[in-house]
Amino acid sequence: MSANKILIVDDEEIIVKLLAMSLRSDGYEIVTANSGEQGLEVFKSESPDIVVTDIKMPGMDGLELLKKIKEIDSEKEVIIVTGHGDIDSTITALQYGASDFINKPVRDEALAIALERAKAKIAIRKKLEEYTENLEIKIAEATEEIRRKSNFQRLLIKSSNDAIVAFDHDWKVVVYNPEAASMFGEAVKDVRNKMTIDDLYTPKIAKIFKSQAKEDKQQSTLPWKENIINTKDGRQIPVRYTSNVLYKKGEFVGTVSFFQDLTEIKRLEKELVQSERLAAVGQTISGLAHYVKNILIGLKGGSYVVDVGIQKNNTDKFKTGWDAIKKNIKRVGDLTQDLLTYSKQREPEFEECMPNDIANEVIELVKDVAESNGVLISKEFDNSIGKVIADPQTIHRSLLNLINNALDACIDDEDISKKHGIKVKTYKDKNNYFCLEVKDNGCGMDEDAQKQLFNPMFSSKGGKGTGLGLLVTGKLIEEHKGVIETETSKGIGSTFRIKLPLEKPNAVDED
Amino acid sequence: MSKKVLVVDDDPDVRSFVVTVLEENQYIPLVAQDGVEGLEMIEKEQPDLVILDVLMPRGSGIRLYRKLRTDENLKHIPIIMFTGIALRSFLKSQKVLDEFKGGEVPEPDIYLEKPVEPEELAAAVKKKLG
Repeated sequence: MSANKILIVDDEEIIVKLLAMSLRSDGYEIVTANSGEQGLEVFKSESPDIVVTDIKMPGMDGLELLKKIKEIDSEKEVIIVTGHGDIDSTITALQYGASDFINKPVRDEALAIALERAKAKIAIRKKLEEYTENLEIKIAEATEEIRRKSNFQRLLIKSSNDAIVAFDHDWKVVVYNPEAASMFGEAVKDVRNKMTIDDLYTPKIAKIFKSQAKEDKQQSTLPWKENIINTKDGRQIPVRYTSNVLYKKGEFVGTVSFFQDLTEIKRLEKELVQSERLAAVGQTISGLAHYVKNILIGLKGGSYVVDVGIQKNNTDKFKTGWDAIKKNIKRVGDLTQDLLTYSKQREPEFEECMPNDIANEVIELVKDVAESNGVLISKEFDNSIGKVIADPQTIHRSLLNLINNALDACIDDEDISKKHGIKVKTYKDKNNYFCLEVKDNGCGMDEDAQKQLFNPMFSSKGGKGTGLGLLVTGKLIEEHKGVIETETSKGIGSTFRIKLPLEKPNAVDED
Repeated sequence: MSKKVLVVDDDPDVRSFVVTVLEENQYIPLVAQDGVEGLEMIEKEQPDLVILDVLMPRGSGIRLYRKLRTDENLKHIPIIMFTGIALRSFLKSQKVLDEFKGGEVPEPDIYLEKPVEPEELAAAVKKKLG
């Protein structure tokens, strides 16, 4: 928009006419006045962009007019026409806010320059106004956006399923959402901006948060933790929480914490544990009952066969029955020992012993049974193991259990075309363990069975296993600070490996 | 002529018990210690009755029972189930197999849960063989 309308004020009519004529030919729209008073009237009615006024006029002079115009609109450009040497008036005019001066007699060029300058000023001001206006719109938009965002955030905080509590640098509560209210049992209106951390939390919890703010200057986010919150009304709530310490330019400005109520989850977890325990007890008892029943069958059958042997004076019968009875008495003994081992804590009794010798003893025990079932037991011993400090009972029982299992796996194998064998191997490994390995090529186990191996009363041997064997072995090895490893593949065979810490007797005793 | 009764059981104590009961009652006992051996024995000896355990290695009693009840040449041989497994569990496993393999296998006529008195076992055998 160009500044095009000019008001010319001079008491000399001829000057007004000449100037008007000259400026109109330059393309301006001209309005005129012959006195200060008239000038003011025309200014009010025509609202010109620029005013060119003589300074000396009867009645209201140029200065007066300038002052009045500036009172109406301080941004109007007013060019003052002065006589030579009229310094005082010029200064006054400047003070009143005149935008430019030209000397009398008014030369066209001087006027043109002054007008251009005035126009430029108007243009700049217009632009400035536009900018200002735009700026206001932009600020309004930004404000709206901020308000929207903050509303959104407030809504987020308000509707969050987590309890959110934030403190400022004086530990005053500044954010406290409805979920927090239901967790801590204090209404939002009583807490926000009113309470401090010490009013809201019990001293123990408050201390955790305060020390966190004090301690970590660098890492300001805590990983999720679990704790019990004691509310002021005496409830105990299990929670999962995290907390962020907030810094601004390295200065502590507050903390924000998120709490999740775990009451329901804990209740479900407890129920699950309970029902699993019940199921395990049920399984244990029914497994045991089954095993005991099998023993009973053996004893009853055996005693009947003994009776017949006595009646018929048949020594063979008598012996068969009596063997059955003795065998089942032994099973009762083994079961009792397994149950006792499993049920109580036992400290290993360490002494000097030779693992290879123990392995030989165990193999001797089972060799006959193995051979009668067509299973060959082979050995591969590392003689450098020699004497160690260990519990010989642990080694004996664990190895016996593993070899018996391997034997069962061979006997139970449906693939009768296989030549079944068990290999017992001893060796030292690089992690300072001595290892006893029992490898069979029997029936192996599927993944399901493998997972349940160390569960109480799990038995893949039908009614013939107590379901305690591996469990007891696992326990013995654990008490001995050892590990037990399993590799198995259905139809191919299994390997069980016991690793026990290798502790040598004093160097003197070594061979 | 005395009748032949086959005992299929992996537990030697059970075998010696049943064999003794059979001998005492004037039957001829035959023994097998698993399902595979049991079937071989049945085909070879054509026993008049089979006393069958359920849980055994190498061809369980569940499988052998099914074979004996579906094979046209063996169907006529009576069976006494003699086991520590509850009848309910045995029937359930057969029902699962019915659905899986198709067809329906009749329930065993006599199902004895271990342990049993020798008289009870003898009575069951007599009932089947007269």
